[in-house]
Amino acid sequence: MCKWCFTHGTNGEKWYMNAKNYSDELADEMNLKDYLEEQWLNFEQVYIRKIMGMSSKDLGYKMKMPIIGRVLRKIAENMIHSEKKNRKGIRADGHFGQVIPLEDGKVILSELAAEPIICNYCMCRFMQRGEKEAVCINFGQLSEVIEKLPRFIPKDRAVRIDRETAMKKLEENNKKGYIASVWFQPVPYINAICSCESPECGGFTLRNNFNLDVLYKAEYIIDLDQDKCQGCKSCVSTCQLNALRYIPSMNRVIVDYDKCFGCGVCRHACKHDALKLIPREEYPGYDGTY
Amino acid sequence: MGSKVKTKMLKKPAKKKKTKIHIDSALCGADGKIDPRDCAKCLKACDPAVFIMHPALDLKFKDKYDPQRWTISPQWGSLCTRCLKCVEVCPENAITVKW
Repeated sequence: MCKWCFTHGTNGEKWYMNAKNYSDELADEMNLKDYLEEQWLNFEQVYIRKIMGMSSKDLGYKMKMPIIGRVLRKIAENMIHSEKKNRKGIRADGHFGQVIPLEDGKVILSELAAEPIICNYCMCRFMQRGEKEAVCINFGQLSEVIEKLPRFIPKDRAVRIDRETAMKKLEENNKKGYIASVWFQPVPYINAICSCESPECGGFTLRNNFNLDVLYKAEYIIDLDQDKCQGCKSCVSTCQLNALRYIPSMNRVIVDYDKCFGCGVCRHACKHDALKLIPREEYPGYDGTY
Repeated sequence: MGSKVKTKMLKKPAKKKKTKIHIDSALCGADGKIDPRDCAKCLKACDPAVFIMHPALDLKFKDKYDPQRWTISPQWGSLCTRCLKCVEVCPENAITVKW
């Protein structure tokens, strides 16, 4: 249970399992359509736009500056987790997410996600690698906004998809090696499931390099059965976060639990059923390390 | 003589210098010959994904971005490993890396 589960979940459930966070009423109540329109019209500028006279260009150097760095980190964290009323879409206030395993993603898409569901291009990947790939699944009021913006929509395909296709698409991406993640946009309205890749995703870059909590680790962690592992190394190549390593002397794989996000992608590669996801609080010493 | 050597050894190791990546906007980008959206070779060559492609500032308004004109800028300069692959791969030789 991360801190967002206590504020936005219901009776001990995870925040993304709360049906209220997906409802149209919530979006109407907070008047989020304007926010989303503003955010997605200016989506590609969020990194370069100056906020309080500072852009996130060379953020690594700016964060290392003695006092300014600490102030900057605080401002950035407040912006990412902002729950205020005057949030601006242009700065993507209150837009953060969490890694989820495939099972949870399927539950969201089959039961919780609001209609209509669309599949659009991942803009992170286009901005950082120049590749247009339709892997992001959006739902609710956000999809009505994105439908009107042609640069996010694949030309040769119907944009709106049904729940079955969305689930199939997510599974396909997950088995390919992409990491499923669910996003607040803004807190507490949930309207996107992405299939992310480690250095390209905006969330992963900020989390892994600058330790900003844009993307939280999953509620789960990987558990390796040492007796079942045969040392075939096939899981090592699927881990995007360098959490798995092969040790020749023991002829098995070891896990770096500090790096593991609990996405569960490595399970698809294991032929011997040695990898299993367990709740994060059950693994000793890793309770609360989101 | 000896004391000088000692003080040198006691000094702190030199700070790692900032990597300065510069992309010539006359050769690549909104005002250049090629559209970065068609090329994007540096984006693909860079392993830590330092570069970012984004809309350029509008010519008329100072605060607005034009979605038709795109440029590339080195956003996460601190991640640069100085491998100079981007310099090699650029068809217009627009990138310079200094440190």
